[in-house]
Amino acid sequence: MQSSTKITEPKNQWTARLLEFWRVFNKNRMGVIGLGMIGTLVIIAIFAPLIAPYDSSSTESAQIGDIYNPPSAAHLLGTDDAGQDILSNFIFGTRVSLIVGTFAAFISIIIGGTLGLIAGFNGGRTDNLIMRFTDIMLVIPDLPLIVVLVALTKPSLLNIIIVVGLLGWTTTARVVRSQTLAVKSRKFVLRARGIGAGNRHIISHHILPLVMPILVVQAVLVVSNAVLTESTLAFLGLGDPSALSWGQMLNYAFGRGAMSIGAWWALAVPGIGIVWVVLGLTLLGQGLEQVLNPRLETHHLTPGRPVVQNERDEFGSGKSADEKSGNILLDVQNLSVNYVADGRPPARAVENVSFTLKEGELMGLVGESGCGKTTLMLSLLRLLPSAGQIVNGKVFFKEKDLTALNEEELNIVRWSGISIIFQGAMNALNPVRTVGDQISEAIIRHLPDFPRDKRLDERVIELLDLVGIASDQKENFPHQYSGGMRQRAMIAMALACNPQVVIADEPTTALDVMIQAQILELLDDLRKKLGLAIIFVTHDLGVVAEICDKVLVMYGGVTAEYADVDTVYNEPRHPYTQELIKAFPDLTKPKKKLTSIPGYPPRLDALPAGCRFAPRCPAVFDRCHIEQPPLHKLGDMHFASCHLVEGSK
Amino acid sequence: MTSALLQVTDLQTRFHTPEGIVHAVNGISFHINEGETVAIVGESGCGKSVSMMSLLKLIPTPPGEISSGTAIYRGTDLLQKSEREMEDIRGKDIAMIFQDPMTSLNPVLTLGRQLTESMREHLGFTKEQAEERAVQMLEQVGIPDARRRINEYPHQFSGGMRQRVMIAMALSCAPSLLIADEPTTALDVTIQAQIVELVARIRESLHMAIIWITHDLGVVAGMADRVIVMYAGFIVEEADVNDLYDSPGHPYTLALLAALPRIDRRRDHHLKSIAGSPPNLLVAPHGCPFAPRCEFVIEKCRQENPPLIQIEKNHSSACWVDVKTGAPR
Repeated sequence: MQSSTKITEPKNQWTARLLEFWRVFNKNRMGVIGLGMIGTLVIIAIFAPLIAPYDSSSTESAQIGDIYNPPSAAHLLGTDDAGQDILSNFIFGTRVSLIVGTFAAFISIIIGGTLGLIAGFNGGRTDNLIMRFTDIMLVIPDLPLIVVLVALTKPSLLNIIIVVGLLGWTTTARVVRSQTLAVKSRKFVLRARGIGAGNRHIISHHILPLVMPILVVQAVLVVSNAVLTESTLAFLGLGDPSALSWGQMLNYAFGRGAMSIGAWWALAVPGIGIVWVVLGLTLLGQGLEQVLNPRLETHHLTPGRPVVQNERDEFGSGKSADEKSGNILLDVQNLSVNYVADGRPPARAVENVSFTLKEGELMGLVGESGCGKTTLMLSLLRLLPSAGQIVNGKVFFKEKDLTALNEEELNIVRWSGISIIFQGAMNALNPVRTVGDQISEAIIRHLPDFPRDKRLDERVIELLDLVGIASDQKENFPHQYSGGMRQRAMIAMALACNPQVVIADEPTTALDVMIQAQILELLDDLRKKLGLAIIFVTHDLGVVAEICDKVLVMYGGVTAEYADVDTVYNEPRHPYTQELIKAFPDLTKPKKKLTSIPGYPPRLDALPAGCRFAPRCPAVFDRCHIEQPPLHKLGDMHFASCHLVEGSK
Repeated sequence: MTSALLQVTDLQTRFHTPEGIVHAVNGISFHINEGETVAIVGESGCGKSVSMMSLLKLIPTPPGEISSGTAIYRGTDLLQKSEREMEDIRGKDIAMIFQDPMTSLNPVLTLGRQLTESMREHLGFTKEQAEERAVQMLEQVGIPDARRRINEYPHQFSGGMRQRVMIAMALSCAPSLLIADEPTTALDVTIQAQIVELVARIRESLHMAIIWITHDLGVVAGMADRVIVMYAGFIVEEADVNDLYDSPGHPYTLALLAALPRIDRRRDHHLKSIAGSPPNLLVAPHGCPFAPRCEFVIEKCRQENPPLIQIEKNHSSACWVDVKTGAPR
């Protein structure tokens, strides 16, 4: 979902980037507030002599009556113990506090960043050495050490900056190190090495750009920390006496009886200043974090609720044929799902899809990535992310309309009625708990009344047995399982509450052929044994050919073809299905070239007018670009949405 | 094409882990000629990727260790070269495409920056020259509107597009050997076919040798000249592609072929998986590593690991049994 407003004129690339930066940053209200808060202070600091009503270093001796005057027209924020204008002191104090904060943070960031980078990148002994040193620095209480050091040296502004800077790098080093470690093990670093890049190149071109955002955010936090430390030092009387910072103001006011006189303004004003800086910087840090990661940019989706509207029934005739035989478990009618994004046209992810599923039936749901398969499956159980809305259609599970149920009723159906094995689920096992433990958790989670004694254990063993895992593997941890076994364990979990329908979302995609064959056999077996109805989601028509009863082929969010499996493979009528079958490697003729479908599936937020497959279709003609073909019925159990099949049987 | 572009002899790679030594690659030998396409096939963990990474010395050491072997590339041994010398070879002479295009691109850098990287590193191109060539490369791998799109970030590209970018990147310095590590595994079938087609087309125009690592015999059927089948760190069969599909000589190859889903086959002839999983590489190999899962197993298999022997012209297999007759060799 890239933005259409992206400007990529090479000439003013930098302006464009800056604009883009602002566009994203602007969306984060907290960040903007933080920027405003800090910006105000910076302006005050820079123009202090112009803004301040009185000169801070005025030497005119104060009258007794000027001391601790409450706010008045002459002194908007009152006067302090020396009869000086607090507003002016505050304004000049901003300068001192910000200078100390910025420079000290600069030192900390340079030291912490470098050490973190070196430790993370080199690893091994270097890492060990640097991190143990960091640990020691962390254990030593900061403040007492700073107090001692500042007291030993002359308490000048420069010394304070150096001491605070030299001691404030520890968290930065740790944060940068862990980010470097994470980035270092990413694939693109290996790839960069693969093209012959050396260490220096990898650090500067690949690791630094990813550490930078964290470093910037960290810098902002270190600044606020440094401001706080300086204030504390000054408050304790260790500030530079010649530079009046906020801490110094607090020190004077506190030490010279402001409390007892009740001159709250002398304490409140610098106090608010400190809070203001810390709060502003924290907000700014948050805002920056959001902008500096280009991937976060796409996540501005508006939350929404499932909306269910009218119903139409274009599909009734197809259904009645099914109803004659077998028990219909799942009946999906004209389901449409939109993704609603901020300021963009809705993405029509699923449109008017209907299908039925009987007991013990295995349906293949086939299509390329991004064609709406997973969205369709998630919408059955209303598990869509908040931006996804069901805009039309009904989902009947055993005659109950799931789109009309409330959350509580749905939770009963989820898992014990319909369960889902998610894509890549085998990586979703908790590494520090045994597999058996995690399966029993799934049982208890969904069947709270299940007896927690031997029967629970027996049930776990029974489930493991079902998926072909020996019971002595129950106490093993996920890392002791192979990829295929983990996937079996996930299937066992999905079966924990005796569901009637299991949705398997690309359960074999990341596995190699041998394990894929094992999992397919297992699912086929389970269906026979337990009478499960299974929806097998895949992008690979070949995988489902051998075990499915029927196939629903989706393209660009709509049904391209829906038929029993033999029809789909022997007489596919939709050009997309035909091309998909041709794209499958044929082992009987190894030297035959694969045919591929040129181009890519359409983006769901920019669908072509007319038929969605038209831009890639080999049989395309004029009408396809203008009019979207409806789903034509071609037989008892054969539907295709193509203008070419109109009127034929 | 008499002399090989790359001749690997007795390559052995191990990993020293807290649990013990993992015998990842156990003395494999093979060669690849100029302009030839060789497929290396096997299940995950059989040592396909590790052996290729060993050739480029991309194995992290420790814990990894290339404990023996030579890899003669154009007259010199890659395994003896220093890290600096390898940096000059990687990307320029031997390029590698990695499995997952989603994670092999740096998410915070524009494609342009990542594409020009190797050209500036190896060919000393200026920024403008490199960018010009990057646009050409992208057009060559079929990315429309390349001039505009090089300023975009990886997340703005689909998986298939990203793999095209990876290929453009690998080819930018016109390498003489391309190692493709499961480049289509994470992609849709239709896109998979596109990528295979693309690589085949480019191979012809650049006269480049390709090593194509995959677990799916079907994918390489149409493009490989020769196929090497690996199991548990050993080469168990090596043959011309047609021989391998027509008369596989090793029980493991038979099993791999049987496990492939087929469109032309339905329930009457059910797909078959073999039970169990590849052996634990922590245990030093003893006997034939495939013996525990093999349906042809005889007593000798458990005693002695069969060497790779020629069974026909250009066709070798490491098995004590003739799988056609079931009789011991």
